[in-house]
Amino acid sequence: MRLDKIRVLARREFLVRVKSKGFWFGILVLPLFLGAVFVIPTLVLSKTKAQLDLVMVDATGRLGDGVAERLGRSREGMGPGAEVALTVVAPEADREEQRRRLDDRLLGEEIDAWLWIDDEALASGEVEYHARNVSNTFTLEILERALSAEVRELRLTEAGYDPQQVASLIEEVELQTIRVSAEGSRREAGEAGFLFAYALFFMLYMVLLIWGQQVLQGVLEEKTSRVVEVIASAARPFDLMMGKLLGIGAAAFTQFSVWMVTLATVTAPAVVGSLAFLPEGLTIPRITVVQVAAVLLFFVLGFFVYSTMFAAVGAAFNNLQEAQQLAFVPTASIILPIFFLLPVINDPASPLAVGLSMVPLLSPILMPLRVAVEMPPLWQIALSALLTGAFIVLMVWVCGRIYRTGILMYGKKPTVRELWRWVRHA
Amino acid sequence: MTTPALELIGLRKAFGDFVAVDDVSLAVPAGTVFGLLGPNGAGKTTTIRMIMDIIAPDAGEVLLAGRPRRREDLERVGYLPEERGLYRRMTVGDHLAFLGELHGLAHREAVARAGRWLERLGLADRAQRKVEELSKGLQQKVQIAGTLIHEPQLVILDEPFSGLDPINQVLFKDLLAEYRQEGRTILFSTHVMEQAEKLCDSIGLISQGRAVLVGELAEIKRREGSNSYRLVADGPLDRTAGVAGVAEVVVDPRSGDRARLFLAPDADPAAVLRALVGFLAVRDFRSEEPALEEIFVKAVRDAA
Repeated sequence: MRLDKIRVLARREFLVRVKSKGFWFGILVLPLFLGAVFVIPTLVLSKTKAQLDLVMVDATGRLGDGVAERLGRSREGMGPGAEVALTVVAPEADREEQRRRLDDRLLGEEIDAWLWIDDEALASGEVEYHARNVSNTFTLEILERALSAEVRELRLTEAGYDPQQVASLIEEVELQTIRVSAEGSRREAGEAGFLFAYALFFMLYMVLLIWGQQVLQGVLEEKTSRVVEVIASAARPFDLMMGKLLGIGAAAFTQFSVWMVTLATVTAPAVVGSLAFLPEGLTIPRITVVQVAAVLLFFVLGFFVYSTMFAAVGAAFNNLQEAQQLAFVPTASIILPIFFLLPVINDPASPLAVGLSMVPLLSPILMPLRVAVEMPPLWQIALSALLTGAFIVLMVWVCGRIYRTGILMYGKKPTVRELWRWVRHA
Repeated sequence: MTTPALELIGLRKAFGDFVAVDDVSLAVPAGTVFGLLGPNGAGKTTTIRMIMDIIAPDAGEVLLAGRPRRREDLERVGYLPEERGLYRRMTVGDHLAFLGELHGLAHREAVARAGRWLERLGLADRAQRKVEELSKGLQQKVQIAGTLIHEPQLVILDEPFSGLDPINQVLFKDLLAEYRQEGRTILFSTHVMEQAEKLCDSIGLISQGRAVLVGELAEIKRREGSNSYRLVADGPLDRTAGVAGVAEVVVDPRSGDRARLFLAPDADPAAVLRALVGFLAVRDFRSEEPALEEIFVKAVRDAA
């Protein structure tokens, strides 16, 4: 092994990738996506007209004030700056004429919408909403909720019930999910924790697969372009393989750490607090530095576990079509953890989950998953990393032998038995 | 005699039952051009790959400057394999610098030399272009520069002229001439005898894995040429082999009326001619240095 050669080779691999547009697209896609989800709605909402001018024609004469009060109370829920200015008026003698005038004011952009509550509204539960734009569902829902609550209260009162009492009688149960961790308990939406674990799983799965394929294609490119023989005279095949793995691995690590740091930043309490737009009831789980470090560590381990196999497969065959058949082995190894996804997320500290996260082919994905749901004891992380590291040494040895023989071998497609012979006799 | 730049001792390599290289020994004197000759499939590439430690010999030894070859020595060799290529998506400048660094140059030095080479090849304005954007001929130029960028003392080229366009052939020949002037050693393989005849100081003829004739080209020609005659005649040329005093006949398969006659050392050329006119309409019979190709055919036959 010649470190100077590996360094030159790795730097080439890294630079070639970092200089490509695809790399930067990949690196920016997650931050852009998160930006699109969190920041743009906030911006859009704050840009929309600060005040919504509503005129409510209340023929019942009993709803207007209550609704106005309720709207005032739920103002915080309407996003930054969105306020409803509600003017309650009584119906005039000529109702048709009144409607026409309201429409005119609407078209003249004097008001943004008008509501028509006729005499039967309490019974029928129907209220008209006239506006230039009827797709602002968010505002509509708040209006609807305020109206419904008011109508419900009036109906109950008329039927002889005390609305306060009824409300407390029919109150629903709300499950308070409390995540217990060594850093102290904190309330958190369980749903969000799962969401994050799922997201992390698919991210790891995708990124490991994509970069593994990069290794496969990189090795094949060297073979098909015949550049490998020029290189092989100056560097041993083993150094060539290590240079490739380290170089591509560095590019993959760069991309993935940007993603993880973005995630950790976006979910930091300070950032989350400043985000105005969040689906109701969703708390974003906080991602700690230790978690990020653990996930990154297993990402690196995973890259080497799977990509070493991809490198050997690439070296053994002459073109991508031939190689895809055996590329199934590393690909399947990356997919394998999906079968254990649910049990691990549901009970990340169960003996099954702990055991599986120690198995080298599974650990690179299952251990980060456990970390995401519930921080495991450090000794388990260390043991898993150690076992995976040992497995990588074995893989590098086995795959290095296949690589060494295959990389300069052209012609017939080798059989699995021949590959095994390369491992034994190389 | 000075130590040869490169020496092969009893090199052997078999692939299964097929013996590709069989007990090949030869020495390449320092500062000379050595041609490794033979038809396709003779074992030239396998020999070169063993020199470059790309495949391990079953037996034998490779000496560089009199010492057993170590892996580190090879990075000071300029090697152009028969199967060659470049990273298509790298820029030309980066690629050359990369090859320089891989052969032990410091980064800055490699970049500087890459610039000088591109200047020399007239490619300076294309340094930032990707290799795949270059024409095939220009890619060949880059390949040649990549082989020589670390200024090797020993250059090993496997069929260097095959696939090169005529302009690059001339360029390459000029570069090699320049290298030889500077006292560097060049070994190249070819199956084109005329090429070797023009460029080489020494040759090694390989046939079916065996070195059948090794030595200085001028010396070989002198030795083989003293009794060599050119015959142009109509009639059954193959019967000339039976004539007394004729040791060897190489009939030119292309013309059908020409042959190279190698006479026995003590033969009388006049007596041979008299015998020939008995059954041939001889138009030309004269003493002439044989072409390398004819020597090669004879050597293969002698070895068999």
